[in-house]
Amino acid sequence: MTIKIAVIQFPGANCDLDAVHVLNNVIGVDTSLVWHNHFKEADFDGVVLPGGFSFGDYLRAGIIAAHSPALDEARIMLKDGRPIIGICNGFQILTEAEFLPGALLQNETLKFVCKWINIKVLNNKTAFTQKMKKDDVLAIPIAHGEGRYYTDNLKELEENEQIVFKYSTESGNYKAEANPNGSLENIAGICNLEQNCIGLMPHPERASETILSPQGTTHGQLFFESMIEFIKRRIK
Amino acid sequence: MTRVTLNGEKVDVEMTSDEFEKVKELLNREPTITELGGFDVMWSEHCSYKSSRPKLKLFEDAEANYDYVLAGPGEDAGVIDIGDGYALAFRIESHNHPSAIEPYHGAATGIGGIIRDVLCMGVRPIALLDPLRFGRLQGNPHSQWLFKYVVKGIADYGNCTGIPTIGGEVEFDDSFDNNCIVNVACIGLGTIEDFKHAPSRAYNPGDYVILMGGSTGRDGIHGVTFASRTLTEMSEADRPAVQIGDPFTKKMIIEATLEAIKTGYVRGLKDLGGGGLTCATSELTGDGNTGADLDLRKVFTGEPGMTSYEIMLSESQERMAFIVKPEGLETVLNVFKKYEVAHAVIGKTDDSKVLKISDGDKLAVNIPSKALSESPVFKRAEKRPEYLDTLLSQKTPEPPSSLKEIIEKLIASENICSKEWVYRQYDHEVGVRSVVKCGDGDSGVLRIIGTNKYIAASVGVNSKHCYLDPYEGAKGGLVEICGNIIANGAKPMAMVNCCNFGNPEIPESFWYFSKAVEGMNDFCRTLRIPIVGGNVSFYNEDDVSKTAIKATPQIMIVGLIEGVENIVTLPFKESGNEILIIGDTEAELGGSEYHAVIHALEGGIPPKVDEEKIKARWNLLFELYQKKLIRANHDINKGGFIITIAEMCFKNKLGADIDISSYNINNLRDDELLFSETVGRFVIETSPKDYDKILDIAEKYSVSIRKLGVLTNKPQINISGLNQGINLNVNNMKELYDSTIPNLMEI
Repeated sequence: MTIKIAVIQFPGANCDLDAVHVLNNVIGVDTSLVWHNHFKEADFDGVVLPGGFSFGDYLRAGIIAAHSPALDEARIMLKDGRPIIGICNGFQILTEAEFLPGALLQNETLKFVCKWINIKVLNNKTAFTQKMKKDDVLAIPIAHGEGRYYTDNLKELEENEQIVFKYSTESGNYKAEANPNGSLENIAGICNLEQNCIGLMPHPERASETILSPQGTTHGQLFFESMIEFIKRRIK
Repeated sequence: MTRVTLNGEKVDVEMTSDEFEKVKELLNREPTITELGGFDVMWSEHCSYKSSRPKLKLFEDAEANYDYVLAGPGEDAGVIDIGDGYALAFRIESHNHPSAIEPYHGAATGIGGIIRDVLCMGVRPIALLDPLRFGRLQGNPHSQWLFKYVVKGIADYGNCTGIPTIGGEVEFDDSFDNNCIVNVACIGLGTIEDFKHAPSRAYNPGDYVILMGGSTGRDGIHGVTFASRTLTEMSEADRPAVQIGDPFTKKMIIEATLEAIKTGYVRGLKDLGGGGLTCATSELTGDGNTGADLDLRKVFTGEPGMTSYEIMLSESQERMAFIVKPEGLETVLNVFKKYEVAHAVIGKTDDSKVLKISDGDKLAVNIPSKALSESPVFKRAEKRPEYLDTLLSQKTPEPPSSLKEIIEKLIASENICSKEWVYRQYDHEVGVRSVVKCGDGDSGVLRIIGTNKYIAASVGVNSKHCYLDPYEGAKGGLVEICGNIIANGAKPMAMVNCCNFGNPEIPESFWYFSKAVEGMNDFCRTLRIPIVGGNVSFYNEDDVSKTAIKATPQIMIVGLIEGVENIVTLPFKESGNEILIIGDTEAELGGSEYHAVIHALEGGIPPKVDEEKIKARWNLLFELYQKKLIRANHDINKGGFIITIAEMCFKNKLGADIDISSYNINNLRDDELLFSETVGRFVIETSPKDYDKILDIAEKYSVSIRKLGVLTNKPQINISGLNQGINLNVNNMKELYDSTIPNLMEI
């Protein structure tokens, strides 16, 4: 059985084609771009909510897309344990749809920021981190204006190992200067309790090819390879 | 402003009374108020190029003389064939006047407009570049305000539409205090097939005319006539003439347009920009040799009660006009429905060659479709300004402090320091094409996925040089911008320009434009670079202070790199390697940052261009690239070659031991040698074992190439061979380079 992945095209998504390119051409998994109103969960083994400005970020980043019928379909996948990843705006959608806890606030600097940063892996047991090692430091870019993670339930997240990535220095320190947006506790990405759904602000699809990476790394591939591995094990 | 009598009533128009007479003559009757409004807009300087057209005729016909040029000047964007079935479209445009009044929306809608221009060539917009000019930031809150919100306007619009901003340049100079320059450029990529499906003409009678996108409102009525005047204190009252952008709707329009083109049912396409519906419908039918019968009441408006005059002249953003084959109407409308973009069939084309626009049972417009494009042409007087003799004869005083202190001041100066504060706010990576990213090279380099081709693009010009000599300055801009993409390994393919000048009715201001055009023309003909598009922005002149901006003929070059292994980058790579300089330095401190920052001088002798020497250096570089003899390359720009070397040391924290004694063959003063901005020079990194080979090849091209020194592991630049030794700490230089703009902007 071939694995099928969907990248949801919300109106205003703009990293949708980038994710489709990486999944199809770099990872080599059968991936379709699906218009949000046309998405049917039964056809897919995993789903990517891509970055961008769904519905122009009007009202609040991610909130309108969170009410798209695509999220009702995705909720079925969430419940039966299929992998779901929200990247950047996708992460914002997942918190607004309450697949994931917490919220993404405007960056502390009040400015959009686009640059390569480092994140450290805290939990390598999720559907998207199984091919990583705990304490690995990944090189990956960010590009967002509203990426400052906040939650009232930090303790709970820590206890449940839901904090998957934290912004760090290249050597893995959580210094303030390694935090590009003022996120609580340097949090860059989190997962749900069942660990099949993750959301993160950095862009793995921009870090999956040597030629795009300042240091020639391809750490972004690990996310998608982990997902494939996870799906294969699930199907067995 | 002229007062004319129309059907017994007094009406104020922007056109002259002679032009009004010509309108009546063309129509053989008095125009309706809506027709008059249309002529007034379409015959404005901004739309008709009536002052610049005679001069622009100098340019070589790009389509006729270069086989890879698919569309040249006169189209919405220039288009070239880059092989493998792909077409590249690009254009640059000004949005100066709106941005001076309302920087955020002025800049944002500038981006919106240039995206539409490229989109209506049938290709996907894939990159933006923005050259900007403001007054000096230091101690000038107004400049800081403009700079902050222009950058934010560009960022918010570009980021939301998912088009990476991959480059740009910015200069700060007092002459831009009251007239900032906001130029916007866009590059689009598609197949040649896509391009062929989207001509900006309605050439077939019986096709449907569809208006699609944002609703038509009262914003921006007469925006182009506003852009064809000088700014006065009254201009604040012109704010309603500035449009409001909506990048989300634009994103939907981009996707819907590209999908509609793929259906094969689109026969023509035009964006609605300056001049609104009047401009789009008259150009579609006029250029297509057809007519059309349109009903204004079908247009979806943003507010009730709009008159035909307002609907026809509204410059509301985010609108496109489609010409669609009758049999494909439903298919195309279904695409628009999928993306939930508003649309209306407003009429059909016919073979009448007349543009008939009805408003209920009244005919609001009934004119020959070509009439609006038959604007008069003005032969403007030109005169070399008298102040230039005084400026050119200014002498350079002795350096007021040590050379080390001067270099440290220069690298921290507003025009040389890092522009990271700007490009961090731009998403420069969306689209997964950005190979050489902002700050890592002289140009932005994008890959074309599915091929082994890469495109490089850069934009800019030196306004201080152009102020002293617009002819040599425009040529120097071409040398510099071509140099940027060549430094990354690309071959220049084509040029577009955006001419920003003062009031063309003032002979001294028009002289600058005239000489700059001659410079571009001479250079491009000699170096065989097609000019595939341009835009002219006049009236960048302040009525209150009676001063024009420094001449700013912005130049954008797009080039091609075949094969990833041929991309060259800026940072020095390895200690032990040698630093070579290509090209000698002349005593050309005129318009330099050294004069401006250290001596507060605007004059002196500016750089001159010798096309044959430039050509030889480029050919030398191409051969050195081919033989893989260059590890890093950076073209020498503002501040002179020590600044260039410092910038190359930053990324890998290297240092350099430099001995200048053998380089100073023209026996220049130390400051002349170090700080002259002689154009067309490059600093390259090479391996010591290749030195003799490189000299041999350089001799073949008769290019002057000299060893300046060697790279070291210690982040220290030591310079000997001058009257005083200079020791620069690279980390300290980097700190100075990085902190200027954040210190001024982050309060």
